[in-house]
Amino acid sequence: MSFQKRLASGEFLVLAEMNTPKGVDISQLITNARRIKGRVDAVVVPDMDNGVMRMSALAGGVLMQQQGIESIIHVYCRDRNRMALQGDILAAHVLGIQNLVVANSEQMANGDHRDAKPVNDLDELGLVQAIASLQKGVDLAGFDLEGAPAFTAGCTIAPFADANQMAAELALAKKKVEAGAKFVIAPPIFDLAYFDEFLAAAKGLGVPVIATIFLIKSVGIARYMALNEPGARIGEELIGRIRKASDRENECLKIAGETIAALKKKVAGVKIETHGWEHRLASILDYAGI
Amino acid sequence: MITAERKPLAEIIDSIDAYKRILLVGCNECVTVCAAGGRKEVATLASALQMDFMKRGKHIDIREMTLERQCDPEYVEQLAPYIDQVDAVISMACGCGVQEVVRRFKAKRVYPAVNTKFMGASERPGVWAERCHGCGNCLLGLTGGICPIARCSKSLMNGPCGGSSKGKCEVSSEIDCVWQLIWDRLKELGIQDRYEDVIMAKDWSTERGGGPRKIVREDLAQ
Repeated sequence: MSFQKRLASGEFLVLAEMNTPKGVDISQLITNARRIKGRVDAVVVPDMDNGVMRMSALAGGVLMQQQGIESIIHVYCRDRNRMALQGDILAAHVLGIQNLVVANSEQMANGDHRDAKPVNDLDELGLVQAIASLQKGVDLAGFDLEGAPAFTAGCTIAPFADANQMAAELALAKKKVEAGAKFVIAPPIFDLAYFDEFLAAAKGLGVPVIATIFLIKSVGIARYMALNEPGARIGEELIGRIRKASDRENECLKIAGETIAALKKKVAGVKIETHGWEHRLASILDYAGI
Repeated sequence: MITAERKPLAEIIDSIDAYKRILLVGCNECVTVCAAGGRKEVATLASALQMDFMKRGKHIDIREMTLERQCDPEYVEQLAPYIDQVDAVISMACGCGVQEVVRRFKAKRVYPAVNTKFMGASERPGVWAERCHGCGNCLLGLTGGICPIARCSKSLMNGPCGGSSKGKCEVSSEIDCVWQLIWDRLKELGIQDRYEDVIMAKDWSTERGGGPRKIVREDLAQ
């Protein structure tokens, strides 16, 4: 069943994130994708994730399609103006990509090409509107297209540190939904009670919510996240659980799997981010009972 | 200087139509030089607003003031005795001045009356042209003192594109091809061999890549 149909049917969605290589050696990407083929509904391919220059998501998405795996590619505003974005979106359609996520982008100053010139011609809402317009057969300059693309397009909700910021993010997401986003991807939140509060507030969006499962790979990462991403709500209990485990790596996989299992009845689906541990995705799915 | 042009009157009226008492504030610096928001323009706009309100049977009180520099807190402070007597402020300064008034008087609505355009110079009376992009890393020493970033339509840094014709840019016959100007200048100085210099891909982190910019002079900062 396609991502679009599964989204509409309400069946639990499992998405795995896989970054393209920084270079042209695609062997690891392909191997990792094959390992989970048939176990996930689609692979999400970020574009220049964290501001790091890599092979474009468009190529990554097409590579997934070639492997018989449905893909969802990120589109974002930092590096392309409205001309380039629209051109790539048309290209994505003809190359078989059916799904897009309008993602927020890291600041250029935090990436690996700090001397590059940021574009930000459109903002994320503008990009959602552009996708909607292209699907109606009209580009942003008002010209008719020779054949309109079709996508299931969604958007992300940026991490929020407190209730005020959450309200602001949800208000922005509402605008994106009204502009055509068919689903939203929530930021990683480890406190499930707090995540329930978010879900209650996000109900008003009226579209499926996909939770982000952020794989914590070490005590160090957990501590870093706890300090720098207060919205993720990583508590001492979680950090202690990893620290005390005899096999810490395995414990991290287990935590991710358990989180997925706990969210199964609450959200439309999950997007699993493993940040370099894509080869361990199968273990996470095992722990999740998927 | 920072150049600006006054907004259309209808837009200004639209922004303040609900108010009865307005403080209209000009600036004696750049916007005076480019005839957009100095004392004279403040008086002209005040008259235009009064007339429009009168024509519509409405009344508006307008207090006119022109500060020495609206981007400087020392001068913006001069608005303090009057700020509570008005419903809103119209600023005829550049965007920097508008925001300085907002920063000082947080509870007051402030509306811009000009569109800030660019950093430029006066070519001849009544004509101002863009000269500097504020990229934060000046290359004028490499290009004969003529800026390709601000003055080339494509900000090309190693020579003209194919759209240069008879010294003009293909975007408009009103725009000089800056690379023609640079070449002519280098030749005039007898250093045309410098044209062969390769200017590497620019570091834009000093422009907007690093986010909003700030200069801190430790020796002066309080």
